[in-house]
Amino acid sequence: MYQVSLRDFEGPLDLLLFLIQRDEVDIFDIPVARITDEYLTFVNSAEELNLDSVADFIYLASMLIRIKAKMLLPRPELDDQGEIIDPRQALVEQLLEYIRFKDAAAELGLMRQRRERMYTRGEASRAHQLEETTEATLVNTTVYDLIGALRRVLKEVPDDPQVTLDSIEHTVAQQREFVMAWIRVQRSGRFEFMVRGQPKGFMIATFLAILELAQRGDVVITPDYGHRDFEIASANGIVEQA
Amino acid sequence: MTSIAQVSDRTLLHVVEALVFAANEPVGAQQIANTLAKTTRDRLLDDSAIDGAVDRLNELYESNGHVLRIERWAGGYRMATVDAASVYLEEFFKQVRRVKLSRPLMETLAILSYRQPVTRVEIDQVRGVNSDYALRKLLELELISITGRAETVGQPLLYATTDHFLETFGLSDLGDLPDLRDIEALLDDPEFSSERARLLILNGLNTADPESDD
Repeated sequence: MYQVSLRDFEGPLDLLLFLIQRDEVDIFDIPVARITDEYLTFVNSAEELNLDSVADFIYLASMLIRIKAKMLLPRPELDDQGEIIDPRQALVEQLLEYIRFKDAAAELGLMRQRRERMYTRGEASRAHQLEETTEATLVNTTVYDLIGALRRVLKEVPDDPQVTLDSIEHTVAQQREFVMAWIRVQRSGRFEFMVRGQPKGFMIATFLAILELAQRGDVVITPDYGHRDFEIASANGIVEQA
Repeated sequence: MTSIAQVSDRTLLHVVEALVFAANEPVGAQQIANTLAKTTRDRLLDDSAIDGAVDRLNELYESNGHVLRIERWAGGYRMATVDAASVYLEEFFKQVRRVKLSRPLMETLAILSYRQPVTRVEIDQVRGVNSDYALRKLLELELISITGRAETVGQPLLYATTDHFLETFGLSDLGDLPDLRDIEALLDDPEFSSERARLLILNGLNTADPESDD
């Protein structure tokens, strides 16, 4: 199994391009059957993650399957001039266009880097810059970073000595109450402090409770500490302060 | 030597330098010429005279070993430090981290800058994913703006880059954008396969892939 996940790719075209480059196949003569299978293996393994973006990946999967089926037809489709239409044509054209813009994006990135090394007087307005930095932190954070923080905290806790199969000690509903109560007292704080010294079951249930509360807008999560931990704060508190 | 009264060369250089230094955004040649004409009551200089003055100032800075240069960004002039000084400035401003533009943002911006004005659907088609979020972020960062609506069904919004985009990327105008590379050149580029190698290393993959042999 590959150690690659869908989040490494910008989108379905990026993944398809990766498979084509990895297998060194000719982009103008894509072995659709093989590539489709590899593509599907990837998407299937990621589907259970239940990401929004999976829909885009599945759309291309259906396109690949359609092409694969068309290529198996005994009589190929013909265009107005009686020429055989390659079922892959539209996809290849899209892929080529994507490659060009991916390259352009990289080029623009370099230009920005060069430009960033030239300082102007506006550089002194720190407040403005710092504000934008916070923005960027949020842009680059995904739920995986939060899971990373959970994993790190869990690693430091020994396994629960007794395994109880029939009773769940900590439910997410219970932990929602706990989180809200904790926040009422503390206003805000780091996840690590919130669950310190507690058993793993408690930590996981608390983590899930926080995600639920954040989705409902009851709490605000700010990833920090190099994605090793995150901060939980009361959503109301922020409104009051503003 | 000309008969028409003309601002002295010295004044011209002074005014150009002062305005470009003091402004917090690129200053257009026209703005400089207007200011000069109003203050000196001389005839309006054309853009090329201003541009020539900028060239001469840059030559002066360079020959005297100054770290400043006047750059041509977003259709105007802006004073900035040279690359060689960046190491000190980076240290000095190290708390001020720059906005990082993620790959989805860069991809969206690239398509937008070459295809503008463009609708979201057109961008989505090239990328194969929904660009809603990326567009919203780019709008917030003021790198793009909404310029109108397309005449097609549903009259979708049209997006285009801003002057702030030009300045951020060190471009004088959109014509300054590098040409999109030909697809043949890209496919032949050794980097096309080195990109592959990079991906493999990044993801800790073994190049010897058992499934690619069948």
